Amino acid sequence: MHLRSQPIEFVLFLCASLSVVALILMLLFVVMEGSLAFTRLGTQLILGLRWETNSDLYGGFPLIYGSLMVVSGAFLIAVPLGVCTSIFIAEVLPFQLRDSIKSVLELLASIPSVIYGFIGVTFLTPLVASIFGLQSGATALTASLILAIMALPTIVGVSGETISAVPSEYKEAAFALGASRWQTIRNVVLPLSKSGMLASVMLGFGRAIGETVAVLMVAGNVAMVPTPPWNYLAPVYPVTAVIAMQMGEAAVGSLEYSALFGLGLILFIITFIVNTIADAIVRRRPVGRDVQI
Amino acid sequence: MSKQTEKVIFAILGVPMLICMLIFLWILSLLLTGIGTVRWELFTMSALRGGMLEMIVGTIYLLLGAAAVASPIGVLAAIYLVEYAPSGRLTRIIDQAINNLAGVPSIVIGLFGYTFFCRHLGLGVSLAAGWLTLALMILPIVIRGSEEALRMVPASFKEASLALGATKWKAISSITLPAAAPGVVTSVILGMARVAGETAAILFTSCVLITRGLPKTPFEPVMTLSYNLFVQIVALGAPAQRVFGIALVLFMIVTSLSLSAILLRIHYRRRQTWLRMKG
Amino acid sequence: MVNDAKVDIRKLNVWFGDNHVLKDISFKIRENAVTAIMGPSGCGKTTLIRAINRMNELIYGCRTSGEVYINGHNIYDGNVNVYELRRKIGMVFQKPNPFPKSIYENVAFGPRIHKMANGRELDEIVERSLREVALWDEVKDRLHDSAFNLSGGQQQRLCIARALAVRPEIILMDEPCSALDPVATAKIEALIRRLSKRYTVIIVTHNLQQATRVSDFVAFLYEGRLIEYGDTKSVFEHPRSELTRNYIAGKFG
Repeated sequence: MHLRSQPIEFVLFLCASLSVVALILMLLFVVMEGSLAFTRLGTQLILGLRWETNSDLYGGFPLIYGSLMVVSGAFLIAVPLGVCTSIFIAEVLPFQLRDSIKSVLELLASIPSVIYGFIGVTFLTPLVASIFGLQSGATALTASLILAIMALPTIVGVSGETISAVPSEYKEAAFALGASRWQTIRNVVLPLSKSGMLASVMLGFGRAIGETVAVLMVAGNVAMVPTPPWNYLAPVYPVTAVIAMQMGEAAVGSLEYSALFGLGLILFIITFIVNTIADAIVRRRPVGRDVQI
Repeated sequence: MSKQTEKVIFAILGVPMLICMLIFLWILSLLLTGIGTVRWELFTMSALRGGMLEMIVGTIYLLLGAAAVASPIGVLAAIYLVEYAPSGRLTRIIDQAINNLAGVPSIVIGLFGYTFFCRHLGLGVSLAAGWLTLALMILPIVIRGSEEALRMVPASFKEASLALGATKWKAISSITLPAAAPGVVTSVILGMARVAGETAAILFTSCVLITRGLPKTPFEPVMTLSYNLFVQIVALGAPAQRVFGIALVLFMIVTSLSLSAILLRIHYRRRQTWLRMKG
Repeated sequence: MVNDAKVDIRKLNVWFGDNHVLKDISFKIRENAVTAIMGPSGCGKTTLIRAINRMNELIYGCRTSGEVYINGHNIYDGNVNVYELRRKIGMVFQKPNPFPKSIYENVAFGPRIHKMANGRELDEIVERSLREVALWDEVKDRLHDSAFNLSGGQQQRLCIARALAVRPEIILMDEPCSALDPVATAKIEALIRRLSKRYTVIIVTHNLQQATRVSDFVAFLYEGRLIEYGDTKSVFEHPRSELTRNYIAGKFG
């Protein structure tokens, strides 16, 4: 370990390394509390098909499936919508509007998830129920929709930044050759933005998987894989929702308690991997001279 | 490719933009229609009589305390990263850790907060535990924002004071840091905006549905707007009219924090004349 | 009168916001010759050539008045297809700006987007263009390497080849050698003289000696106005304006 020569530098170093310490502690404690579940359940925690607290069954597969289902649905909607919108903003709208749009996006992105959940429950679930003729509008579709709405401002914002970061000299060369605005976007700007967009989608994915409150309020919370598996009109129980709902009643030290921590560990690992990959993408392939498209 | 074809393509591209705008206008209109149902006296009435006072104050206590814990650590960490950190593996690890900390799902932070702060440190379900837990979420925001603010200060300022014989720390603390102060303050406000509406992290670390009066010590639990909104809808099945007030107040608090941060940034960007002078 | 003016500029004025950059420019540019545009920094040389391929319009706040006739048609007319116009006019920039693609893909870019050819035909166009700039032998074995593996001078020749691939009639060059070393510069100057046999070349240059070496005609701009225009020899040896005389003598610029 490096010892800093001056006390001030050492104090600063301590503050900076607090993040590392916090992460390590987090990992430690979550693993610790989840250890009972790991030893007792093993892979059943991830692969088991039945999650029934009353029968002391803790198979997490339907929960993990629910999370993935909701997040994929959200991204299928939000990514095309968001990317097209950001292209429109960057290339078609007059550039004076750009700052104001950026501020609006920031404001939208700051709305807390409990408020989106409130809107989802109050306005979206009845809408879904009436459109599809269901008894309850709390479905995977509803959760995907609300998650998509939540992700949109971030996707539009980050895509927009990636597009503006493409050096203008390439666009000029394309225009001088007689390319139209759209041809330039399609053949020069978009290929160069690919890695930036990929990284942002991954980061968004990580955030969406960890989203708790909004999906909890509208997903239906039934721990079963829908039949058929692509039926978005069925209720699902994402991992985050389970933890939030059941921690309150789980007795400390019980198997249930431990299983919830086990699920927490899985979330932690997934987001850790996704974030690290996204970081690596951004670090390894900056837009510019060294990248061939 | 003719201008006509291009116009068509852009018109098609404009459709998603239109959809996005409609979605957010719809949401805005929903929130605004609720204004009519709110009885504004509820702000100052105690929850025991159906009011929101404890929730509002509780939310504010929580935000301020968490910011107070995270800000000094965050600023000092940023100073280290910008001015002192050698480039090498350790610094890269710290840098990545900050990114990863920012990406941890809030429910996992809540789980950690519960087991570490509430149980192992013995704080129980309390305001203090909430402060520490939320501080973990504010920390990366303050670090990144302060880093950016510090980097924007021209090195020449610091060099001028070093040339006059000041120590490195003196140069940074008396010149660079004050110059970066607006950016730092902005990031703290952004951090507060982030946790003002946070529910998952405080779900089992600091909140309860109802308290008798305001907490007198940090070791008591607290009522917050987000927690109340959440529990009333999910556990109590309360109808929209009853909780609209809570949702609106929370929305107003978060939006005013975000708006202040944005305005602050714009205002100070205009005042930073050194950015405009091309050297 | 034989009208062999390829480009006929009449009372061209360009504003960027309130800034009146070009003031009442009028002159004719001869076909298949090299015309140099020279003048001190900020006099509007770049704006002038960008007015010929209508690239100024890409900048917000730009206003243009006057007419520019190419092959007898006013390019500022409402129904002109500006993309087709830019295909017929090639442009080479001050700093070489090849796309971050392979050498082949750089040259093929233009023909592809204008749907001029594909497959075998495209290969032939790429080879022809690279031969025209004397780059073929140097790169024929590594056509799919990144364009950035080339030296600065080679990249600039690649950019010229890229412009030639779409069969332009006019080539605009904005100080094409200013970022290059003397050897690369000499190669490009030789290329410019060769190109002028088949294309109309208009080159902006800062470098008086380059103008005398390379150009047949020269236009001297000062603060947005055309001060003098004529064949290179006459303008340099017997400048009619005092301003031109001082500029050539190096008294300012």
